Amino acid sequence: MSERWFPDEMPVPAVNAETNGWWEAAAHHRLVVQRCTDCGTTRHPPGPVCPRCRSTTSEWSELPGTGSVFTFTVVRQAFIPSLADRIPYVVIAVELDGGGGARMVSNLIEIDPADVAIDMRVGVVWEDMGPALAVPRFRPAAEGTPT
Amino acid sequence: MSSKGRRAVIVGVATSDYPKLPEMSEHAVHGQAADRALADAGLTMADVDGFASTGFFPMYATGVAEYLGLHPTYYDETNAGGASFEVLAEHAAYAIESGAAEVVLITYGSIQLSQMGRRLGTGGGGGAGFAPGPAIYDALWGNTLVGSYALAARRHMHQFGTTLEQLASVAVTMREHAASNPQAQEREPITVEDVVSSRLVADPLHKLDCCVISDGGGACVMTTAERAADLGVTPIYILGAAHATTHHMNISSMPDLTVTPAAQCGPLAFARAGIGPAEVDVAQLYDSFTITVVLTIEDLGFCAKGEGGAFVENGGLGLGGRLPTNTDGGGLSACHPGMRGMFLIVEAVRQLRGQGGVTQVPDARIAVAHGTGGMLSTGATLILGKEAP
Repeated sequence: MSERWFPDEMPVPAVNAETNGWWEAAAHHRLVVQRCTDCGTTRHPPGPVCPRCRSTTSEWSELPGTGSVFTFTVVRQAFIPSLADRIPYVVIAVELDGGGGARMVSNLIEIDPADVAIDMRVGVVWEDMGPALAVPRFRPAAEGTPT
Repeated sequence: MSSKGRRAVIVGVATSDYPKLPEMSEHAVHGQAADRALADAGLTMADVDGFASTGFFPMYATGVAEYLGLHPTYYDETNAGGASFEVLAEHAAYAIESGAAEVVLITYGSIQLSQMGRRLGTGGGGGAGFAPGPAIYDALWGNTLVGSYALAARRHMHQFGTTLEQLASVAVTMREHAASNPQAQEREPITVEDVVSSRLVADPLHKLDCCVISDGGGACVMTTAERAADLGVTPIYILGAAHATTHHMNISSMPDLTVTPAAQCGPLAFARAGIGPAEVDVAQLYDSFTITVVLTIEDLGFCAKGEGGAFVENGGLGLGGRLPTNTDGGGLSACHPGMRGMFLIVEAVRQLRGQGGVTQVPDARIAVAHGTGGMLSTGATLILGKEAP
């Protein structure tokens, strides 16, 4: 993609002690999920405490970057002024392979919105916003991508 | 709710003028509704020792109390979004029954329609600029408030075969009820075909699957059954109440996009009331979007999970239907100023008093009011009755 999808005026995500590792990995085009080192439960968005066992220790578990569309919508009304000229665009909740049930919201690109379907296989594609920030989006996975 | 001693009841309800109030301030909407509800109860501001309200900034209730000239010794501003006013009424009942308060006034006021253009309305939320903390993990990709409900709707359609036409039938029934409400924002009859052919806002939700955006407010007054008898007004009893939450503003954090917090607080409220869903005569259910109603009737136990679509079609929510719902026209047609939970309480009480007018459900004895807030994040159920339990 020659032109960036995310507008320049889009605020840079606030990075804090809880989310720094996630965005740092993203900057290197590595899709990760936070995994509790005590009980193995994954969580997304990142947070300070394991919701299952209360442990405060966690690691960034690297994922293959593939997944399945859990659900989707096609945003057709421009409530967000800076995205007004991007509509229609597809927002998905993607269930991440190896993510232990973790889902993330993202976009599905390189597809006609009419062709999007639940359970569709998708793979990550990165959009570089600068030297220290990249944002993961998804596109339909190539035929034969293992599930 | 208490089995002995002081019993909390609702003695006064009112709505403010609505749906368009370009000449009124937000506080003035509160004040108008408060004065009407107190008059309805036969009380005055001097009788009020407890106050509850909520809005979009901290110490909100304190500000409204000052405007109303109140120095309350009980106050509450719990914010659960659209479920707030059911939670505030439940809290007020506990306060009254414990003796912490004698007369609690609860008010709501909003001029979000008239303020649009100056600030983003609730109906059009979302966007990274409005996404503090973890919310960025949904908003960065351009998800919107409608988009979040659309993600839930799409999942429900996939999992249970719910159709666009079934969702649309919720909007059609609400519009039928609104036709009898002279204040309603939208009163022209619509068909299922009108809904599914209206502009898509976020697939699968069309414009007519979404609530209206309004100005307006309401108020209710609660006290003890004993005080109600002294006043000579018809008390409406709080038979049971409960609330629950499962996540904050990230729809991706919702445990299952087809199950709302109503699945927790609904059964709890019914258990506390000692009755079941089959005994409910009329329902006032938060209808920010058509899918909100389908999910809510399932989770409250009016039908099994996944059967909500079939329940609502062919007038299931209409007068004479399985569960007459939103007899004022609801947020889909009558009025939705952002957190319309107060309207649910007011209309439930009017139905139980027999003041429902054209859309009165004959001999309504038990009503349920259920608010839903955030991104299907919060739920609060009130079960109201015209007779003492």
